Amino acid sequence: MSSSTPAGFMGLELCALSRQVGSHTLVDQLSLQVAPGEILALLGPSGCGKSSTLRLIAGLDRASSGEIRLGGRVITALAPAERQVAMVFQSYALFPHLSVERNLSLGMELRGLAKAEIQHQLEQVLALMQLEGLRQRKPAELSGGQRQRVALARALIRRPALFLLDEPMSNLDAQLRDNLRAELRTLLRSTGVPVVYVTHDQHEAMGLADRIAVLREGRLQQLGTAETLYRDPTNRFVARFLGSPSINLIERGEEQLGLRPELLELAEAGSPVPQGWEALEGELSHREWLGDRVISHVHCPGQASLKVLSREAPADGALQLRWRQAHALRFEARSGKRLPGSGAAHPS
Amino acid sequence: MARLLLLLWSLGPMLWQLVSSLRTSDALSGLASGGWTLEHYRQLLQGDPPFLTYLLNSAVVGVCSTALTLALAVPCAYALTRIGRRQARSLTLLVAAAAAFPAVLLFLALLELARDWHLANQLLALSLPYAGLCLPLAILLLQAAFADIPIELEEAALIEGMGLWQRLRWVLLPLLAPAMASSALLVFLFSWNEYPIALTWLSRTELLTLAPAMARIAGSSVYTIPYGAFAAATVLGSAPLIALMLLFQRQIISGLTQGAIKG
Repeated sequence: MSSSTPAGFMGLELCALSRQVGSHTLVDQLSLQVAPGEILALLGPSGCGKSSTLRLIAGLDRASSGEIRLGGRVITALAPAERQVAMVFQSYALFPHLSVERNLSLGMELRGLAKAEIQHQLEQVLALMQLEGLRQRKPAELSGGQRQRVALARALIRRPALFLLDEPMSNLDAQLRDNLRAELRTLLRSTGVPVVYVTHDQHEAMGLADRIAVLREGRLQQLGTAETLYRDPTNRFVARFLGSPSINLIERGEEQLGLRPELLELAEAGSPVPQGWEALEGELSHREWLGDRVISHVHCPGQASLKVLSREAPADGALQLRWRQAHALRFEARSGKRLPGSGAAHPS
Repeated sequence: MARLLLLLWSLGPMLWQLVSSLRTSDALSGLASGGWTLEHYRQLLQGDPPFLTYLLNSAVVGVCSTALTLALAVPCAYALTRIGRRQARSLTLLVAAAAAFPAVLLFLALLELARDWHLANQLLALSLPYAGLCLPLAILLLQAAFADIPIELEEAALIEGMGLWQRLRWVLLPLLAPAMASSALLVFLFSWNEYPIALTWLSRTELLTLAPAMARIAGSSVYTIPYGAFAAATVLGSAPLIALMLLFQRQIISGLTQGAIKG
């Protein structure tokens, strides 16, 4: 599977990586590559194997089979310390009994770096992360955002060959998360090493990552840019996991039509359907007003509630729901597999 | 009001001992009224051997037992929290059973051991049974404390490149300090108060620990009960413990309640 890789690939490579615990497969034949300076998001619901994958890369768990390569070197069997990876944990895992300064310097001290060198690097990172004023504080005396900065600083000061982040934003409130996304992206990019970012939040993955790998039950579903995953999903799982509000699925016997809420249009009930369009008659059940847009929930007989994203709120009562046939993604109802020849003419 | 009663209830006996130790023997046996004296203390401290010897013996045995217990219990507890959950559960059950085992049943066997291995009249040898008896409880206490430390902390240290001893020394043990303080105190308390083993293992007067020494004072005369001397010995014997408690009370309380509430 790694045969398609150019020789001497300097980033991170996973080749058919698997981890089994008992009869349970946590990661199943996972293969992917992350180039230096690239941010790859591992996205999926909880229990999809994204954190397990990260732990395998970090060396905290042992791979059952497959290979991990970093900078052309096989690191599958190396101890975590020898991989020169840095990891930011979801809980940040700051040492609670040590000050910010000592949290950052302890690893270097124990690795036997010279005092002057430690001091130099410490000052640099403290300045970069704007932590100078907090250097004597204990983690318990810091806010969530400050703790995250310390955790990032501890990872940066390691000068890692690979950067791993496990849901680093999930302990922050939504407002702060939105503000930090761009900042974090710039910071991670500036390291110039491969970055693997685990998250269950599609906004985070889309806003931060260059490419996204969607995982389900330990298997890779699709790997690509946010746009590719959104417009051209390989299966129903990927289609449903990305996009908010989520994609509408319209039952069609053996098939399901996948339609993004912004591709559905509302019209007066009973109006004629133009050439190349399809329509369903329904009734408005309720609206969500978002300021710039409105989500209308429409009930059509025989279908689950369908969501329509539009600029103007429709009137109450009966209405028609229609879409261009070419916009619909077709899925096999039972397996969720995408059927060929659907959704090609997606508007850009 | 209720607090005052509780305070009196718990402090009363101690105060009574203190007062008794300062009264003359005549006053204690009701032959004369009044009279305060330091005679009992003088008698104890200038005895042969002086009472301080017993205190010192007990302190040596206590410190030694505590150190031995912790040195064994920390690795045991660490291992129990890091092996698989299923093995840990059955092993923990075994440890709990050992903690609940009535130690009285062991005295004869211990005496045999002491004779076979020539451990009698060796002050430090007392630490062996003491550590052995305290070990199960110490392991259980420390295991709970280890389990309260998030595993990510150790993993973060692992990624930083710290070895096992470095992780223990710089990350785990500092976080374990409250639990270690409370376990240490329990062990020290046990060995300070322990009587039957000390009584049977030690016979030379200058090696006696506090408990058998005090028993000798109490039974030193057939005709009179030396209330005053006994009370003075009690006061002197409990003073170090009270000092220790006051010194470490914060750590001990936080250690004993650790795990009660998830932080």
